[in-house]
Amino acid sequence: MATKKYWKGLEELNNNPEFVQKANNEFAEQLPVEKFLGDKSLENDGTNRRDFLKFLGFSVTAASLAACETPVNKAIPYVVKPEEITPGVANWYASTYFDGNDYASIIVKTREGRPIKIEGNDLSGITKGGTNARVQASVLSLYDSSRLSAPMANGNLTTWATADKEIGNKLAAIAAKGGAIRILSSTIISPSTKAVIAEFTAKYPTTKLVTYDAVSFSGMAKANAQTFGQEVIPSYNFDKAEIIVGIGADFLANWLSPIETANQYAKTRKVGKNKKSMSRHYQFESILSLTGANADYREPVKVSEHGKVAVNLYNAVAKIVGGSSLSSSALACDATIAKAAKDLADHKGKSLVVSGSNDMYVQLVVNGINQMLDNYGKTIDIENPNYTRQGDDAAFAALVSEMAGGKVDALITYNTNPVYTAPAALKFAEAYNKVGLRISLADRADETAAMAHYICPDHNYLESWNDFNPKKAHYSLSQPTISPLFSTRQAQETLLKWSGNNSDYHSYIQKNWMERVFPMQGKYMGFNDFWNHSLHDGAIEVGKGGEMEMNGMADSVKAAPVAVKGDKKKEEPKEEAKSVAKVDLGEAAAKIAAVKGAGESAFELALYEKVGIGNGNQANNPWLQELPDPITKITWDNYVTMSPLDMEGKYDLMQRQDREASVVNVTVSGTTIKLPVVPQPGQARGTIGIAVGYGRDKAGNLSLRTGTVIGQNAYPFIQLMNGSMMYGALDAKVEDANEKVEMAGTQVHHTLMGRDIVKETVLSEYQKDAKAGNPDEMLVTHSGKVKMSEVDLWDSFDRPGHKWGMTIDLNSCIGCGSCVVSCTAENNVAVVGKTQVMKTREMHWLRIDRYYTTKWPNEGKKAKEKAHEDGVGAIDMYLDMENPEALNPKVVFQPMLCQHCNHAPCENVCPVLATNHSSDGLNQMTYNRCVGTRYCANNCPYKVRRFNWFNYNANPDFTFNPTQDDLGRMVLNPDVVVRSRGVMEKCSMCVQRIQGGKLDAKKAERKLKDGEIKTACQQSCPTNAIIFGDLNDEESAVAVLRKEDARNFYVLEEIGTKPALSYLTKVRNCEEAEFAAEHNEVKEGKESAL
Amino acid sequence: MDTLFKKPKKQIFAIFSFLFLSLILSTNNAFAADGEKIFKQNCAVCHSLGKNKLTGPGLEGVMTRVPGEKWLHDWIKNNKAMVAAGDAYAVKVFNENNKADMTVFAATLSDEDITAVISYIKNPPPPPGPTGATGATGGAVVAQEQGVNPLAVLIGVIAFLIVIVAVLRGVRHSLKNLQNEKMGLPEEEAVGPWTELKQWIGSHKRTTAVIVLIIIGGLLTSGWYGLKGIGVYADPDQKMEYHPEQPIAFSHKIHAGDNAINCQYCHSGVERSKTAGIPSVNVCMNCHKGISKGPNTGTAEIAKIYAAAGWDPDKGEYNKPERPIKWIKVHNLQDFVFFSHQQHVKVGKQECATCHGEVKEMTTVAQVKPLTMGWCIDCHRKTEVPGMKDNPYYESLHKRLAEKYKGQPITVDKMGGIDCVRCHY
Repeated sequence: MATKKYWKGLEELNNNPEFVQKANNEFAEQLPVEKFLGDKSLENDGTNRRDFLKFLGFSVTAASLAACETPVNKAIPYVVKPEEITPGVANWYASTYFDGNDYASIIVKTREGRPIKIEGNDLSGITKGGTNARVQASVLSLYDSSRLSAPMANGNLTTWATADKEIGNKLAAIAAKGGAIRILSSTIISPSTKAVIAEFTAKYPTTKLVTYDAVSFSGMAKANAQTFGQEVIPSYNFDKAEIIVGIGADFLANWLSPIETANQYAKTRKVGKNKKSMSRHYQFESILSLTGANADYREPVKVSEHGKVAVNLYNAVAKIVGGSSLSSSALACDATIAKAAKDLADHKGKSLVVSGSNDMYVQLVVNGINQMLDNYGKTIDIENPNYTRQGDDAAFAALVSEMAGGKVDALITYNTNPVYTAPAALKFAEAYNKVGLRISLADRADETAAMAHYICPDHNYLESWNDFNPKKAHYSLSQPTISPLFSTRQAQETLLKWSGNNSDYHSYIQKNWMERVFPMQGKYMGFNDFWNHSLHDGAIEVGKGGEMEMNGMADSVKAAPVAVKGDKKKEEPKEEAKSVAKVDLGEAAAKIAAVKGAGESAFELALYEKVGIGNGNQANNPWLQELPDPITKITWDNYVTMSPLDMEGKYDLMQRQDREASVVNVTVSGTTIKLPVVPQPGQARGTIGIAVGYGRDKAGNLSLRTGTVIGQNAYPFIQLMNGSMMYGALDAKVEDANEKVEMAGTQVHHTLMGRDIVKETVLSEYQKDAKAGNPDEMLVTHSGKVKMSEVDLWDSFDRPGHKWGMTIDLNSCIGCGSCVVSCTAENNVAVVGKTQVMKTREMHWLRIDRYYTTKWPNEGKKAKEKAHEDGVGAIDMYLDMENPEALNPKVVFQPMLCQHCNHAPCENVCPVLATNHSSDGLNQMTYNRCVGTRYCANNCPYKVRRFNWFNYNANPDFTFNPTQDDLGRMVLNPDVVVRSRGVMEKCSMCVQRIQGGKLDAKKAERKLKDGEIKTACQQSCPTNAIIFGDLNDEESAVAVLRKEDARNFYVLEEIGTKPALSYLTKVRNCEEAEFAAEHNEVKEGKESAL
Repeated sequence: MDTLFKKPKKQIFAIFSFLFLSLILSTNNAFAADGEKIFKQNCAVCHSLGKNKLTGPGLEGVMTRVPGEKWLHDWIKNNKAMVAAGDAYAVKVFNENNKADMTVFAATLSDEDITAVISYIKNPPPPPGPTGATGATGGAVVAQEQGVNPLAVLIGVIAFLIVIVAVLRGVRHSLKNLQNEKMGLPEEEAVGPWTELKQWIGSHKRTTAVIVLIIIGGLLTSGWYGLKGIGVYADPDQKMEYHPEQPIAFSHKIHAGDNAINCQYCHSGVERSKTAGIPSVNVCMNCHKGISKGPNTGTAEIAKIYAAAGWDPDKGEYNKPERPIKWIKVHNLQDFVFFSHQQHVKVGKQECATCHGEVKEMTTVAQVKPLTMGWCIDCHRKTEVPGMKDNPYYESLHKRLAEKYKGQPITVDKMGGIDCVRCHY
C-alpha cells in the first residue's frame, strides 16, 4: 500500500511551490483590512482630530440610541391551538417525494406546522430509509419565494374563479369544434392522477396524454417491448448480483432508481467478520461518474463506443456460455471486457449488466447478455416493473410536429418544462407558440410557463395529497404537511374542476383507493383502518390479488386516451421471461456498428446529470447549487470536463489553487454554448462531458440574487437517434474562447499534506488477513514498539454516562452527498455563494473528500531512485509519474467531519474556552463564547472547522442565503442556533438529536436504545455507511463494529488525538497483480490507438 | 423565599397568607393533602371551594346539600350513569347546571382517591376567609397605586407652583407699583418672567449649575429605571424585577392562587415540550365562557379575552374575527440558550417556583430570578437529581458515579450537567 499515492487534485499531485505555499495558508485570504484602508474617500479627506472626535461622538450617540430599542419580546399563542401541535415538539408525517425523476418514500419533520426536514422512511420497500441530496433539499424548494402566489393569465395575476371560467369556456369551445387537446406531462405514477386525467378526457374527448421525461428511458422500454412484448422498465435487484457491469449507467446517482439501487449495491459491497465476499463492479463510461468512481474496474470509453462495448461483451459472454456472436470491431478495452465476461459467465443468474443508453439497439444487446446469463427473474425482475420512467420520445416528437403544424388547439403542461429541456432539433418553443391555448400547471413562471397563456400553479408536494405506484404492488401516499403558502391549487383539483367535478383531491384519492387498492390487500378488514395505516406508514406493499387491473391503469400511458374502467387490459405476460423467443440481434449489432465516432478534430460529448442539480427542476435551490459535485468538487456552475491529456498545451490545466479555467465554445449542430473547461482525470480521451440542469434563466430568483444565471443549458445538445433521445453528441467542436474564469471548487482546500489518511486493500488480501491495508500504527518507545492505541501522553478522561462514537464504512460510502445536504438542513448551515467558496469559506460541517489514487508504477520507484541520483527535483518527478495515470485513476470517498478527538488539538489553543470536551465525549463548540481567533482551525489536523466570515443572515451580498428570505427562514431548525459572523462552527454530532433522544428515554424511564438516536447524516445515508452510537454500551452497533471489524482505523491515529470517529478500510474487489499488469497493457494499447 | 422579603409592603399579605396556609397544611393529615392534590388536579378547574360558581357549582356546604356522602361518591365516580338512572337529586343538579355533564372519573380516580377528595372538600382550608379577602383588597389597592402615575402628580404639583409663583409675581408687582406711587417714585417697568429668570441666572451662576446638575441626574436616573421597566435586566438585589404590563391584566394570584388551578392546566407543554407554552385563547375560554364577570377590573379584562377569541357573549357564539393576544414575555432567555421545561419538570422533578418564584402570589408576573448562566450553573452544582436512582435511564450512570464519588451527593454537574453543549447548540 505504501506505493500508493492519494491526491485530491492535479495541483496537489504536481505539488508545485505555489500550491504548497498556498496550502500552508489555512486561510487563503488575507484579512479584508485593505478594503477599509483602501477606501479612497477616507484617504482624501485627511481625517483630522476634530473629525475624529465628531465621528467618535456621533458613533457613541448612535450606539446609545440604538441600544434604546425596547427589548420587549412578545409571545403570541394560538387563538385555537390545533390539537396535534404542541409548541416545541416536532410532528412527523409520512409522505412521498416524486418529481418525475427521483422517487423516495419520506417522513417529514414539522415544527409548529412548518416542514423543516426530510428523512427517509424505513418502512418503504423501495427506498428503505434512504434519500439523496435532491430529496433532502426539496424542503427548501417549498419555501421558494419564486413560486407563483396566484394563477396568471397572459402574464397578469388573476383569481382562480376568473381563470377557471375563462379556461373552461375556451376548452369547451375547442371541444365543441373537435379541436385537439393535449396534456404533456412528465411520468405520472399516481393512479388517482391517471383517473383524474381520464375524467378530464371523458369531458373533453379529444384529449390525449403525452408523457415526456427530460431524461428519458424510452429506448429501454422499447427494447423490452421487443424482447418481452412488454413496454416496461424492469426492477433491478442489485443486491442479488455478484458481478455488476455498468455501461454508461450512473446507477448510484441518477439512473432509474438511484436511492433504491445505492441501498442494494451497498449491501453487496459490505464486508465484515461474517461476510468476506463482495460483488465485483465493472464500469465502462466516458465521464468519470459517481458510479464509475465506485467501480472495481473502470474503463474510459468514448460515447460512440458504448454500444460496441455491449456487443463485444455479448460476444465474449457468448463465447464462454455458447452462443452465436454478433459482428463486432475491436476495442481498446477488450481485455477488460473479456475479464468481465468471464466473471459474468461464472456467475450466471447472479450477475447484472445495465446500460444507461437510451438507444433501443444497445438495450436489446444488453437484454441479450442478461438473457444468456439467466438473469431475468433473478437480478432483473421484469414481472414487477418500475413505473417511474414512462416517457415516450417518439410520442413527444410526434406531438411537437403536430404542434408545429398548428394541429394542437390546447396544450396543458404538467410537471414538465420542455422549452428548457427539449433538444434543439425539435424546436419546441417555436412549435409551442403555435398552440392556440397554452396552459401550464407549473408552480412558477419557468421557461415553458412564461410562454403560456395561463399558469395555474400547482401546490408544492409538501402541500399536496397524492398517491404513487412506483413499482408494481408498491403504493405510497403523500399528505399535506403545511397549509398552502400561496393561493395555489393542486393540479389534480384544477383538472377535476375543469372536468366539472368539484370534489377535493383528498376524498378523490380515498375513493379511488377504496375501489382499487383496498381490494388488493388482505391485511385490513375495514377501509378506514387500511387508509389510516397506509397514511401512517406512508408506503405499503399489496398482495398480487387484483393487481392487473391496477397495473393496467398505471401502465396505460401509452394507450391514450386513458379511460379508467373501460381501459383495455394489458396482455398478461403469460410466458416466462427467459423463454421468450430471442430477438434477432444482428440488426441491432449492425446499427451499433454504424455509429461513427468523432474525427480527430472533434470531440464526442456525453451529457450527464449532476448529483446535486439532477435534471434541473430544483435549480433554484441554493443548497443544491452549493453542494460540491462529488467528483470535480466544483460548486455553483457547470463546465466542460475533458481529459487532462487532451487539454495539455491548449487549455489551462488549473494547476493553481485559485481555480482559473479556460473558457471554450462548444458547438454541436449549430448550437453553441460557452463554458469553462476543467481537467477531469478518468475522462475518456476524445470526449467531453457537460452536465444538464444548468443555465435556467427562469428558474427563479436565485440568478437575480447571485447576479448571474448559473451555468449554461446543455439540453439543446440532445440528439435524436434511432427514434429516441441520445444524451450526447458525436461531433462536438471545442474552440478556445480566449477567456478565463474562476471556478469555485472545494477540493484543494484544507489539504492534508500527503498524510496517510485513507486506507484500502483488495478483497483477496482482506480474505487472507482482515487487517490488510490497515496495519497497527506503531510508536517506538523506550520499551520497544508499542501500538499507538496503547500510548497516551495524557490521562484519559472519565466518560461515566454515554460516550458517543461514529464509524464510517468507506466501503459503503458512495460519495453521493446526501449527508451533506441533510447536515445543512438539520444544522442551519449557511449558504455562502460562489465567491466565498472560491475563498475557501464554504460552511459545510460535513464534506466528502474525494481522493484519486493511482498506483505508482514500478518505474516510479525506479524513477525516484534515478531522480535522486540525477538530482531531479521532486516536482518534476511527480509530474513524470502523474501524466499517464491521469487516464484512469481510482477514487476513494471519505466523509470528513469533526472527529471529536478525545485529546483535541483545537481545545487547548482556544484562549476563551469556547471549545472543550463534554463528559459524553463530544467536542463542544460554544458559539456565544467564541471570539473568532481561529486558533482552533489552525490547530485542527483534520481541517473540519469552519469560520463564519460574514453575517450571512443580513449582509446584502448574500441575499441567496435562505435566512435572508421571509419564506426561506421557515426552513430553519429552531433547535439549532443560527450563527452569525465571527464565530467558528463545526459538526456537533447533531447534539440536539442526542439531547432529544436522551430526554425521550429519561421521560419514559427506560434505558436508551441503540439506534434510537440517529445523526442527520446517518439518517439520510442511502447505503447505511454511517453508524453512530454509544461506545459505553457494549452491545451497541458501533461498539461491536469497532471490536469485531479489523478494518477499523482512526485517521491520523499516529498523532494521538484519539478521535471518537473511526473509519473502516475500503476494500476493492480486484486482483492487485493481475490488474496492474492488464492495466498497463491496456494503457499502452490506448496510447498507441491515440 | 428570600425574594419575598424584598418587597415588604407588597408582599406582606402574601407572607401572612403563606404562613397561615403552612399552619393549616401542617395540621392537616396526609390524607387531606392527597385530597388537595387530587382536587387541584381534577376538580379545581370547574369547582371552587367557596360559594361562587365556576363551570360547576361552588362546593361550600356541599355536604349539607347532597343526599349523603355515598351519593357524592357515586356522583363523582359516574354522574352520567346516575342521571341516566333517574336519581332524583342527580337529575336536579343536572338541570340546574344547564344540563351539562360533569367529567366521569370512574377510570381516573380510585375509590380511595374519591374518599380523599371528599374529606378534603368537607374540611377545606380557609384561604377564602379573612386573609384571602384582605389579600384581594390589598391587590386592588396595589393596582390602584400603580394606576396613579407619580410623574403626573409631580407635573401637577410643579404646574400648581408655577401658577402660584406667577400670581405672586403679579401681586408683588402691583403692590410694588402701588407703594412706588405712594412714595412718588416712578412706576417700575413690567419685566417678563423670562428676562427676570435670565437676570437671576446671570447673578446666581453657581446655584443654577447645581440645579441643572440635579435635573440632569434626575432625568438620567428615571431614564435608567424606565429602561429597566421595559425589559433591561435588573439585578434582584436592586429590587427592580421585570414585570411588564400585559395586554390583559391577567392575575396569576386569582387563577393559580385563589382558585388553585394547576399550573399545567394552562401551561400544558411543561412536561411534554421544551416550552411550557402560553395557553391559547381557547383554553381561557374553557372556563371564561361561563365566567364573564370579575369583582374589580375582571369584567373589562375578560371582555378582552372575548375580543381575542371572537366570542360574542350576548349571542353565545364565535362570530367575530380572532385577534391573537400579544403577551409580553417575562422570562426571556437568549436565543443561543436551549432550555427544556420537560427536562427540568418531568425528569428533574423541579417545582415551577424554583425558577419562576411564587407566581401564585403575583398579580402581575415578575421575573424574580436572574436567569443568568451563573445562576443556572449554581443550581446545577447544588441540586441532586430527584428520582435519578429510580429512573432506569440513569441506572448504570448512577452506579458508576456513586462509586466515583463515594458518599458525596451526586449533583447535576457531576453527570455532565454543566457541559456547554447541554444548553448551547
